[in-house]
Amino acid sequence: MLKMVGATLVVLAGGLSGLVVAGNYSRRPRELRSLRSALQMLETEIAYGATYLPEALGQVSRRCDKTTAVLFSEAAEELSSMSGVTASEAWEKALGKYYPATALNSHDLSILHNLGASLGISDREDQVKHLRLAMEQIDAETACAEDEAARNAKLWSYLGFLGGLLIVLLLY
Amino acid sequence: MNSTDPGRLIPGQSEDNTINEILPVLPGNIRSMIAALSRSILEKVKEIRFRQGKPLVLGLSTWDIFLSVEGRPTQQVDEAYRVTPADMERLIQLISGSSLYAFEEEFRNGFITLPGGHRAGITGKAVLEGGKVRTLKYLSSCNIRISREINGVASRVLPYLLDGDGGIFHTILVSPPCCGKTTMLRDMVRQISNGIPELGFTGLTVGVVDERSEIAGCYKGIPQRDVGIRTDVLDGCPKAEGMMMLLRSMSPRVIAADEIGRREDVDALEEVLNAGIKVLITAHGKNLTELVERPALGQIIRSKMIERFVILGRSRGVGTVEDIIDGKNMRSMGVRKC
Repeated sequence: MLKMVGATLVVLAGGLSGLVVAGNYSRRPRELRSLRSALQMLETEIAYGATYLPEALGQVSRRCDKTTAVLFSEAAEELSSMSGVTASEAWEKALGKYYPATALNSHDLSILHNLGASLGISDREDQVKHLRLAMEQIDAETACAEDEAARNAKLWSYLGFLGGLLIVLLLY
Repeated sequence: MNSTDPGRLIPGQSEDNTINEILPVLPGNIRSMIAALSRSILEKVKEIRFRQGKPLVLGLSTWDIFLSVEGRPTQQVDEAYRVTPADMERLIQLISGSSLYAFEEEFRNGFITLPGGHRAGITGKAVLEGGKVRTLKYLSSCNIRISREINGVASRVLPYLLDGDGGIFHTILVSPPCCGKTTMLRDMVRQISNGIPELGFTGLTVGVVDERSEIAGCYKGIPQRDVGIRTDVLDGCPKAEGMMMLLRSMSPRVIAADEIGRREDVDALEEVLNAGIKVLITAHGKNLTELVERPALGQIIRSKMIERFVILGRSRGVGTVEDIIDGKNMRSMGVRKC
């Protein structure tokens, strides 16, 4: 009886960890899409509203989903404090807080790094170009991520359970 | 109110912390150097000049000083702190609030108004489009001019400008550059708008066309200077167009504008004069004779529509009122050097 309980627990644990890995794979495309729509909002604020960057970042953070909002709200806060930091420094700092909590990979991070370096330092036309470039790159990454998610998410959710079963069989 | 000598512009006798409004836009290293200076210097700082690769210059009321690398005031050029390209880049980002794209028009004009109504002038390489300046790039110099509000400078002059019937006379302030013209105009606007209880004068609605953001010092459209409670400010708007807009939209009793001189300004001014609205304007010039010779403005003066001329100078320091002239008979009203 005790053995049965133990076996069930092992299978469950294996299955759950498999689901977590699978969840990460499907989180990335979702987060990339949310990031993209946030950048789209930022573009609108900059191109049509000529809104000051701290305000624009703040507004975007209020309108996008929770994970993505961290990036924009942190950057906005850092900039509004007028502590002498430039936009790119504030962006970097915000990235440091935002990135570890996401499912994004190093490619995604470098796109955001590059965008940060040009934030707020040129005229409208140029800002729009940089934002568009970042969005295009994110689109490409999203396509990859979706592909990967489709392949791996299913795989990992099965693999977890099967792994658990395998351990049970080996120990039985 | 300045009770000792109202005719002159004396920086506030109480503690003057104006410089603190500037500090947030300075790069960290320079910010701490300036913040560490003695109060007697800080109170006199009128401008901070950044030129890439050249010494950082603090312009005081009558002379200027450098800062040594350790942040000590000095007169020696060779020990002066030199502005690095990184300082310059950071400064531009800070004065624009990291939003250069929001300042395209300002760049075209060569200056940005800072919070507190101070202004930063900038130069660099002009980028042209169709023969007109589109923007500036490779910014090489920046001059932060600290504007200090001096309430009460107009108190001595205002009694001569009230018509005793609840209104004011059409007035032109005449002055060479740097004689406190804009400061005087701002204080007049403030007092006319708030009303002057001592003179039994209730406030009038004043419309200000602030083409260069100097009178009200607007930041994001909100006046940073006290221009009174009945004042509407049209910020950054060309004067001729702005006067007409105010005339149509805000039904002001008084329209104020700075530095009238161009043909179209004078045409708009005539329109305002004919609409029965009082004008309160400034013009560059040493005296009335010089003003009459100006092609556009002279015509209005000769037509005797302007009722008062206030001549400013600096014979007894910045902002000395040299004379007030009655426009009807072109005679002095006996107010010399107050």
